[in-house]
Amino acid sequence: MDIILCIKQVPDVTEADLKIDREEKSIIRDDLEMVINEWDNYAVEEAVRLKEKHGGKITVITLGDEESEDVLRRALAMGADQAIRIDEEGFENSDPRGIALGLYHIIKELDFDLILTGAQSSDIGWGQVGVRLAEMLNIPYATLAMGIEVVDGKIIVKRELESNTFEKVELDLPALVTVQTGINEPRYVSIMGIRRVRKLKIEEKDIDELGISEDEVGEKGSIIESIRLMFPPEGEGAEILQGSLDEICEKLAQIIREKGGLY
Amino acid sequence: MIPQREIFWHISYKGLFYLLAFMSISVFFYGLVRHISVWRAGLRKQKIIFLWGAVKRVFLEGILAGRILRGDLNAGIMHLFIFWGFFLLFLGTLVLAFDHWIFHFLFGTCYLLFSLCLEIAGLILAVGLIWAFVRRYVKKVKRLENKKEDLLLLLWLAIIVVTGFLLEGMRISAQSPSWGIFSFLGFFLRDLFPKHVALDMYPFFWWLHALLSLSFVAAIPFTKMFHVIASPISIYIKDQPAFIIPAEQKQAGQFSYKELIQIDACTKCGRCVEMCPSTSVGEPFAPRDVISALRNQIYFRKDINLPSKLIWYCTTCGACLEVCPVYVPPFEIIRELRSKQIEDGTEVPALMIQTLERLYKYNNPWVSTKKKRADWAKGLDIVDITKQDEKELLCYFVGCTTSYDIRAQEIAKSFSKILKYCDVKFGIFGKKEPCCGDIARRVGEDGLFEEQADLCLDLFQEYGIKEVVVSSPHCLYTMKNEYPCLREEIQNISFFHYSQILEKLIKEKNLVFKKLNMRVTYHDPCYLGRHNKIFDAPRNVIKAIPGVKLVEMEHFRENSLCCGGGGGRMWQEELDIEVRMSERRIMEACDTGAEVLITCCPLCLIMLEDARKSKELENTIKVMDLNEFVLMALKT
Repeated sequence: MDIILCIKQVPDVTEADLKIDREEKSIIRDDLEMVINEWDNYAVEEAVRLKEKHGGKITVITLGDEESEDVLRRALAMGADQAIRIDEEGFENSDPRGIALGLYHIIKELDFDLILTGAQSSDIGWGQVGVRLAEMLNIPYATLAMGIEVVDGKIIVKRELESNTFEKVELDLPALVTVQTGINEPRYVSIMGIRRVRKLKIEEKDIDELGISEDEVGEKGSIIESIRLMFPPEGEGAEILQGSLDEICEKLAQIIREKGGLY
Repeated sequence: MIPQREIFWHISYKGLFYLLAFMSISVFFYGLVRHISVWRAGLRKQKIIFLWGAVKRVFLEGILAGRILRGDLNAGIMHLFIFWGFFLLFLGTLVLAFDHWIFHFLFGTCYLLFSLCLEIAGLILAVGLIWAFVRRYVKKVKRLENKKEDLLLLLWLAIIVVTGFLLEGMRISAQSPSWGIFSFLGFFLRDLFPKHVALDMYPFFWWLHALLSLSFVAAIPFTKMFHVIASPISIYIKDQPAFIIPAEQKQAGQFSYKELIQIDACTKCGRCVEMCPSTSVGEPFAPRDVISALRNQIYFRKDINLPSKLIWYCTTCGACLEVCPVYVPPFEIIRELRSKQIEDGTEVPALMIQTLERLYKYNNPWVSTKKKRADWAKGLDIVDITKQDEKELLCYFVGCTTSYDIRAQEIAKSFSKILKYCDVKFGIFGKKEPCCGDIARRVGEDGLFEEQADLCLDLFQEYGIKEVVVSSPHCLYTMKNEYPCLREEIQNISFFHYSQILEKLIKEKNLVFKKLNMRVTYHDPCYLGRHNKIFDAPRNVIKAIPGVKLVEMEHFRENSLCCGGGGGRMWQEELDIEVRMSERRIMEACDTGAEVLITCCPLCLIMLEDARKSKELENTIKVMDLNEFVLMALKT
């Protein structure tokens, strides 16, 4: 089973002190480390497990700058076979449609049985690239997958619905599935694993090679416009406890007791 | 008539015996070669060098069994009996062969002495075997695992000894030599066999005795008896220089020749099981089980079915090595097993994955930012080595845990204050300080270890560091013992733990302390004590404070109990069970009646402080770092 993986690199914002730039359009990324989008990490693991079980080849694609080759190498170390990077130039500030278009122009030339993407990204979070790509390719798709089974040339996808219920859907191949976190336990990628794929060549494509005009993608081609990025306003109820560690803990315990947090 | 013994008396088909002997020795050597070829395939950096000290060690600790007597006299003496009985009888057989084939000297007094010696050897062996039976099957010593092999080998030897004595009885009954009393046991047994019965039965028992003896020799390389070969070698190679093969040049999980011999030397005596802090709180891990499973897999191609999670329990505290009679370091071997799982990636515990990914991105296992590393130093006016030109500063390598954990930051703060109080010129690397690589190394992430170590080594070299003091005994162990294996040029850097610096300052600067009327106890961190052999420095510091009474816990110095935080366990709460190692330790501290439990390691400090809270001992005992204690006592 040949699988195409679409993944992206995002800034790691856990515990970071985020700052928004002057134009209020994006966060300042200078001090942030870049990591693989969490959902995509599960997608890579799922692809590798499907390959281990059913054979085939995994092609991993990202759209980004040179630094984003890190996530491609990571995917190669996990078990992907080849990697393609679409250069970001021209695609800056694309909306999900623009990104999907870039991916579409590469994938339409490739043979595949299944496309896996993360259900959404942690930075922009539209959750649309996967489904838009499927529409462009005119193939069936399923979102929020918590399990993928291959049965008689079809796949059965277990989808996560609300309040801990699941739905199983059957899709003809080729198909596209967007992967939810928790579908599996992604494996650890060791430094040696990454070093071993250091020399593998990553194929590069730019906007011209894909035959996309600059009007179709990027800010110009976007059908939605980002107006402002902001932090949520401080809530009324927020109270920052002051004092020494012991005092803070004491106060916190008192609040929990008062508000009925302890029975 | 001159006292002597006729070889092959009353035995026909001598040729058959030699054929069998030849076969037995061939099988023995075949087995031996198989073991050796496995050893030779192990990783090696330099040739094995000859060391007198190691020869002495083999003699004193192996042949004279000095090490095996330590800790368990009962088992030690039992082993001494079996070993010397077996060894003398083996020598006796060689002497007999020499006498028969090369130079006949066993007659007259010589023979009588020889005969008496062997008789005593047989008796010693018999006593040792009975002792072993009693320990295993009557007293049922807990640390022994009773497998079929253990019973079989004991019975095998026992039958050889019994048939040996019966043969003597028959021979003495049949020949009635005047010197029979020199084989006193046989002499007493002679009445069991009337002369004609003795003559009839003798050949049958002789062949039984011969067959069992010869097959026993052949079986040595295929059973745990192989320790007679591997254990002395394991003791010898202990002193060979340490080395680390770069991760690029080996396969993950590939053992060094040392580790292969050590695995082979394990006798399954179970001393490690008794000492292991993980085993003793009831966790499903036991060092012996891992080693013995590996031995079966590597040398006898038996499949092992150890749950893959097991190897993550080890805290690498080293208590097992401390008591191992043949110097097997299970924690080193487990490190290699972990590195295999790390490379495969699919079975690494989830929290460990998070920890390592953080370490890779942020050079610390705690927080996702490098920026906050020196936050503890705010307002303390501490020199940042990377931002000034002065050379010859004492480099204070703070370490990840001490930098980021709120409780452990107190170590850095109080130590810095003491250094300032004593006018010691020192500096830190600030935000540029990486992880020393200990965690990566202990969990088998060798590539990451090399990366972090390189960052440290580059810093040391770039700023011309000559002296480094560290907060964590874990950093100390890694830098002092493992860095020189990576880069020889750094051998001129001296590494210290702060307890050593404190001891020195007290001596040199005549620090004046307030009188503290306190009863305190001291917890030896595994990596300070057992791994770095620093036991006295912290104790001397504590004792230098007037009025302080230092009392020891049940387990102290080499026998100290692990807090449960080493070897990556600090970041693997998912492995914890109902009783935690740290809780067991804090209870021991309480038993001494001490008001304060002093320790010398950020991990121990956090673990013991947590245990103190979870056991609700806030009003019973305090947990303090040595620096905090010293600072409290300083007259300011």
